[in-house]
Amino acid sequence: MTESNPPLPRAKFQCRGVNVHYATTHAIKDNDIDIYDKSVTSFIGPSGCGKSTFLRCLNRMNDTIEICRVTGDIRLDDVDIYGSDIDPVQLRARVGMVFQKPNPFPKSIFDNVAYGPRIHGLAENRADLDAMVESSLRSAGLWDEVKDRLSSSGTGLSGGQQQRLCIARAIATQPEVLLMDEPCSALDPIATEIVEELISSLGETYCVVIVTHSMQQANRISERTAFFHLGELVEYETTHNIFNTPKDDRTIGYVSGRFG
Amino acid sequence: MTEISMTPAPSIHTGEAAKARLKKRHNAEKRLRAYGIIAISLAALALMALLYNIFARAVNVRTEHYITIAADIAEDENDFLKVVKSAAKEAFPFASGRTQRRQVYGLFSDGAADDMRNAAGAGTLETGESVERRFLLSDDVDLYLRGTFGAPEERDAQGSLTVTEDGKKILLESTAADFNAAVGVVKAGLAAQAERLREEAGRQTAGVDALTTRLPSLEGPELEDTKAQIEGFQAKRAQLLAQADALDATVTAQDSGRMKLTNRMPSFFVRANGGILKLTEVSNTTALAKPLVPSDGTQTGAWSLFSLDRPETGRPVKDFQVALIENLRAKDRIEAVTNWRFFTSSDSTQPEIAGIYGALIGSMWTMLVTFSLAFPIGVMAAIYLEEFAPRNRWTDFIEVNINNLAAVPSIVFGLLGLAVFLHFFGVPRSSPLAGGLVLALMTLPTIIIASRASIRAVPPSIRSAALGLGASKVQTTFHHVLPLAMPGILTGTIIGMAQALGETAPLLMIGMVAFITAVPEGVTDSATVLPVQVFNWANASERAFDMRTAAAIAVLLGFLVVMNMLAIILRKRFERRW
Repeated sequence: MTESNPPLPRAKFQCRGVNVHYATTHAIKDNDIDIYDKSVTSFIGPSGCGKSTFLRCLNRMNDTIEICRVTGDIRLDDVDIYGSDIDPVQLRARVGMVFQKPNPFPKSIFDNVAYGPRIHGLAENRADLDAMVESSLRSAGLWDEVKDRLSSSGTGLSGGQQQRLCIARAIATQPEVLLMDEPCSALDPIATEIVEELISSLGETYCVVIVTHSMQQANRISERTAFFHLGELVEYETTHNIFNTPKDDRTIGYVSGRFG
Repeated sequence: MTEISMTPAPSIHTGEAAKARLKKRHNAEKRLRAYGIIAISLAALALMALLYNIFARAVNVRTEHYITIAADIAEDENDFLKVVKSAAKEAFPFASGRTQRRQVYGLFSDGAADDMRNAAGAGTLETGESVERRFLLSDDVDLYLRGTFGAPEERDAQGSLTVTEDGKKILLESTAADFNAAVGVVKAGLAAQAERLREEAGRQTAGVDALTTRLPSLEGPELEDTKAQIEGFQAKRAQLLAQADALDATVTAQDSGRMKLTNRMPSFFVRANGGILKLTEVSNTTALAKPLVPSDGTQTGAWSLFSLDRPETGRPVKDFQVALIENLRAKDRIEAVTNWRFFTSSDSTQPEIAGIYGALIGSMWTMLVTFSLAFPIGVMAAIYLEEFAPRNRWTDFIEVNINNLAAVPSIVFGLLGLAVFLHFFGVPRSSPLAGGLVLALMTLPTIIIASRASIRAVPPSIRSAALGLGASKVQTTFHHVLPLAMPGILTGTIIGMAQALGETAPLLMIGMVAFITAVPEGVTDSATVLPVQVFNWANASERAFDMRTAAAIAVLLGFLVVMNMLAIILRKRFERRW
């Protein structure tokens, strides 16, 4: 067990005793987890296990759901993100998110990417903004495909391109953390491969948290993997250990394909 | 070896029963399609009938009639009514007596003087002695010229005519039986009169019968009275029958001499020697006539006979006026001119100078007030309820109330406006401001409901995307949700505004039904609106308002179409943003 453990960066998120209730449903049950910076962390588990819910706790997207109640302690760089002095809007600028279904705005490709910098006032002038859009699209590996049609609609792109546009849009805000909720589930295998490569490379500079249904994907792109089952964090280990030497019976059952 | 059948047993989806089911289903589909086509055809037919009815009448407004005569107009004239009167006197010097003079003046509209006043004001009035000028004709003359009271019918005039003066009357003698038609008219009139007399006699008989049955039960002076009454009835009856018989005898007689043409019978006119005469007594070849337009001295011998079927008592344009008009028409002194007045003038008691302009501007101001209140308030309310309001009993209560408000009869909003806006807040009565406020109240529920539906239809993924980027709720709403919902919101607004544009009842309550001839210059001036103008004109007794009502409806429809087109163009622009 010496070769596969990557060097541990510092914990970006420290979560202790996190509980989530939807009206009467107890969706997340008292979970503790540390998520590390400059690495990719996967959340896996069967449908309805709470992995997406947990992900949405990290940028307080659950706030928009009226019946949802989050308790516990979630710290980003040692600051409680549910503290009274935290503005959820500002938090989401630091913790970007990419959704399951590509959801570009019905605007031009340029406006899609420029939207974040614009609303947060990141660009001093037009040239600045142009540079930001270009670098974001380059990071998302989309620049060469769209550089000649930046003013055409973002919704006119193919599914894979749209998802990369959404990633570029999220990067453009210059977040510290990137949350991805099953980003490849609506994509074909080739687009998936491209996006996976992108996620891997993003993991070198960002703290990336990805929810996925595909164990192979988790295996391919993440350094650490968390297995959720029925709202419980069952096991959280390096990806290598989760898939090769799982400790819990439920993890064994899931990764070996006996349920899920 | 047993023989086995090689044909497979028919499955449940291929057998005869299945075919029958399929056929039944196809028939049902065909029937449904037929119902749809029938429904659409009926709707289209109803629409066509409506439009035809309106436009066929409205199209009459496109012209107005003028008469050209000479007038003396002084340089610094200011009593233009007098100018018209003296010009009329000059043009028809032969009009004698009060009645004829009044009929001469009645040819002219007050608009004739108005036109001169306006021209004088603009400095374009031609002044001097005997200036040939066009004068607007009155509504009744206008209707006559359109044939509303029946067109003059030319009759045969084959014989040659001898005209001799016979005291005040003029004796006409034709070599042919040219006055036969007139005689026929008189005889028909007499026959009808005889019929009426016989009916009256029948009623006398009934009276006699009724009194006779009462006789046995009466005594003393009462009996005597009743007997006298019966005798009176019987005498009356005999007299009526005798009169009827006499009339019948005249009708059936071969040559009954000259008979009187009364003003309850069709009128007959003769054009001869440049003048026009009206027949008063006719036989087959001779007639007594009354000169209406005197001869201009020409003695060509050519003559013609024309008649108007509608009796003089049944039309506002009298025989003298008919003669004047026909005389001038023959001289090309009467012309139909494109009627711009209808679009440039406001309401008037005189149909020929009444126009739609004031109501059109009133409608515009009112719609402006309605739109600038109802649209922002409606959209903001919808945004708050959909995007920001928590879901609880209060918001449910508000939602139910908004939905109910949409179903409140519009006149109730008028009462509310009267009580609140006019009496409490002191908004000027009859003003577009008051009307706009009331209509805005009426339109709000429609806009709110449509806006909420279209905001709700914006995919949640767009909201998530914006929120996930760190956009605030307000930014999300105004940058993404509202632009996407805008086409739907505009559709709802069109419906609401169209409803408001055509609304009459609430405006009656706040005084916009008043007779207003001024064009409103702002939202606080007194004004009327198109539908109320339609309502007023439809109630007016003058015949000439009939076509103006139709034209006003056409203008209202045009206003609606323009407004909707504007909204559709706006909507298309929003939709084109992908």
